[in-house]
Amino acid sequence: MGATIVADEVSRTFGPVRAIDRLTLEIPTGVIYGLLGPSGSGKTTFLRMVVGALRPTEGRLLVLGRTMPDRAVAGQIGYMPQTAALYPDLTLRENLAFFGRIYGLRGRKLEDRVEQLVNDLGLLGWLDQQLYRFSGGMLQRASLACALLHQPELLVLDEPTVGLDPVLRRSLWAHFRQLAEEGKTLLISTHTMDEADRCDLLGFLRGGRLLASDTPAALRVQTGQADLEDAFLALAGQPGVPVGEP
Amino acid sequence: MSWQRVLALMLRIVRQFRRDRRTLALILVVPVLVLSLLGYIYRGSGEPTRLAVVLQGESPLAPQVIALLEEDSSLHVLVMEREQALQAVDRREVDGVLVLPALPPQPGTRPEVELILEGSQPSAAGAIASAVSRALPQAIIQTMSSSGQAIQLEPRFLHGGPQFDQLDYFAPTFIGFFAFFFVFLLTSVSFLRERLQGSIERLIVSPLDRKEIVLGYMLGFTLFATVQSIVMVIFTVAVLRIHYAGELWLVVFLTFLLTVGAVNLGIFLSAFARTELQVVQFIPMVITPQGLLSGIIWPVDSLPRPLQWLAQALPLTWANEALRAVMIRGEGLDALGLHLMVLIGFAAAMAVLAMVTLRREVA
Repeated sequence: MGATIVADEVSRTFGPVRAIDRLTLEIPTGVIYGLLGPSGSGKTTFLRMVVGALRPTEGRLLVLGRTMPDRAVAGQIGYMPQTAALYPDLTLRENLAFFGRIYGLRGRKLEDRVEQLVNDLGLLGWLDQQLYRFSGGMLQRASLACALLHQPELLVLDEPTVGLDPVLRRSLWAHFRQLAEEGKTLLISTHTMDEADRCDLLGFLRGGRLLASDTPAALRVQTGQADLEDAFLALAGQPGVPVGEP
Repeated sequence: MSWQRVLALMLRIVRQFRRDRRTLALILVVPVLVLSLLGYIYRGSGEPTRLAVVLQGESPLAPQVIALLEEDSSLHVLVMEREQALQAVDRREVDGVLVLPALPPQPGTRPEVELILEGSQPSAAGAIASAVSRALPQAIIQTMSSSGQAIQLEPRFLHGGPQFDQLDYFAPTFIGFFAFFFVFLLTSVSFLRERLQGSIERLIVSPLDRKEIVLGYMLGFTLFATVQSIVMVIFTVAVLRIHYAGELWLVVFLTFLLTVGAVNLGIFLSAFARTELQVVQFIPMVITPQGLLSGIIWPVDSLPRPLQWLAQALPLTWANEALRAVMIRGEGLDALGLHLMVLIGFAAAMAVLAMVTLRREVA
């Protein structure tokens, strides 16, 4: 099984700030990889480099076999930014149609995808409403729908379930799991532990450094903590010690 | 390069316009209102300028002068006694006093024409001065010609005509100015929103490339600018009855070229704004100098020389010249080669700058 994302000593600085510090990581195809860390730890910076919105300052980042940023793989990546980043003056249908078309969907195929996603995400009655009427949770789902439209090989989601109720959260994770089973790779940032537990692999990020990267079970064993939150704190308590590397 | 993606972007912009009634009104109704207002100002009958005429004694010249002055419809002529007239001008009841001497003069005096102007309102003073300086020599010629026949001065116009007025002179340039102004403003705000709401990042990581983004924006916004210029052309010609000599499609075409530059200037400058207020701050920098220097009100030839050089660097100057050449003098594309080259050059340069700022989006 190949790797969808290979990061080799990737760093990104903003002026004097090192947002990502020599991050090395491999994410195999067909898994859900969760990136866990407090806010400001560099999660969004790393995701933006993966989707090609940000250039690494150092190191090499391979996504779907191409050194990023590279437009050649743009069509195989789906990205859901932290804010909705849609057009509030347009209806949900118009937003979906726009993003669908720039990813090459058209006609019957586009309509089918829109219908399917709107059903899956519980937005059926809202297709012809302008987005400025949407609640936060609905915008979140609309944004996810735009990222899923073109059935990308790699799905990059920046805190996709913030502000969603538990029922909806559960159904979204079921959806993510199904995508992984279909062979898609998902990279999801989160700062909640219950979500972290649903991932196949988990990376702990703090101050731009990857403290550990392994399965949730292995991380528990390694730190001797039954609770993932405690595991994270245990790792965070000893910065600089490369935990989780072979 | 995928036309499907370009069209998707264009369609999105058209849909956003359609949902934004206020902006639609701004680009279609406001120019028509402003043009109507200007038409009313220039062509509606306002308060006439009042001129008192004082006769110092018998003069064969006086009836001629008064008759000639009364021909001017913007002038209201009143014959008064000297004292009364001087009081009236002091109280600003009249705008000027013309004192005509007795002819032939009393022995030992020289005939002297006196013109007293109230003077606090330059346009009234100017109107009187020019009317008097036109009427006097003509009256003298008429009185002195032995036959008693008036010598007629009939000007012959190469362009325009006796009915041609300031509105005819301004109207062609207003079409270009409005198009430039609104397209610049709307594109920069729309592009700034794209940044603020984060959707630009979605576009950058999508298969859309920079050329396609710039082209999509250009098509979307120039479409509305073109509709706007067609509305304005129809309104100026059919309702305001603006004088035109050339082909009207050329006016629309020139406006289109100008707005291609304006879209790209908007994309470029929006990169230097963080808020919508900062976009508005570009108006005094970008729009006002062009409004003042591009020959809309004051012909470029009449400007001080350094300002003339500056004017030559502004795209609107070239567009205005070309628009006037088409509408007033009826010139065709063949006479406008240089103007077209400048407008196309400006559009191309701005497109390059717009693409450079988009490149910086992948930071």
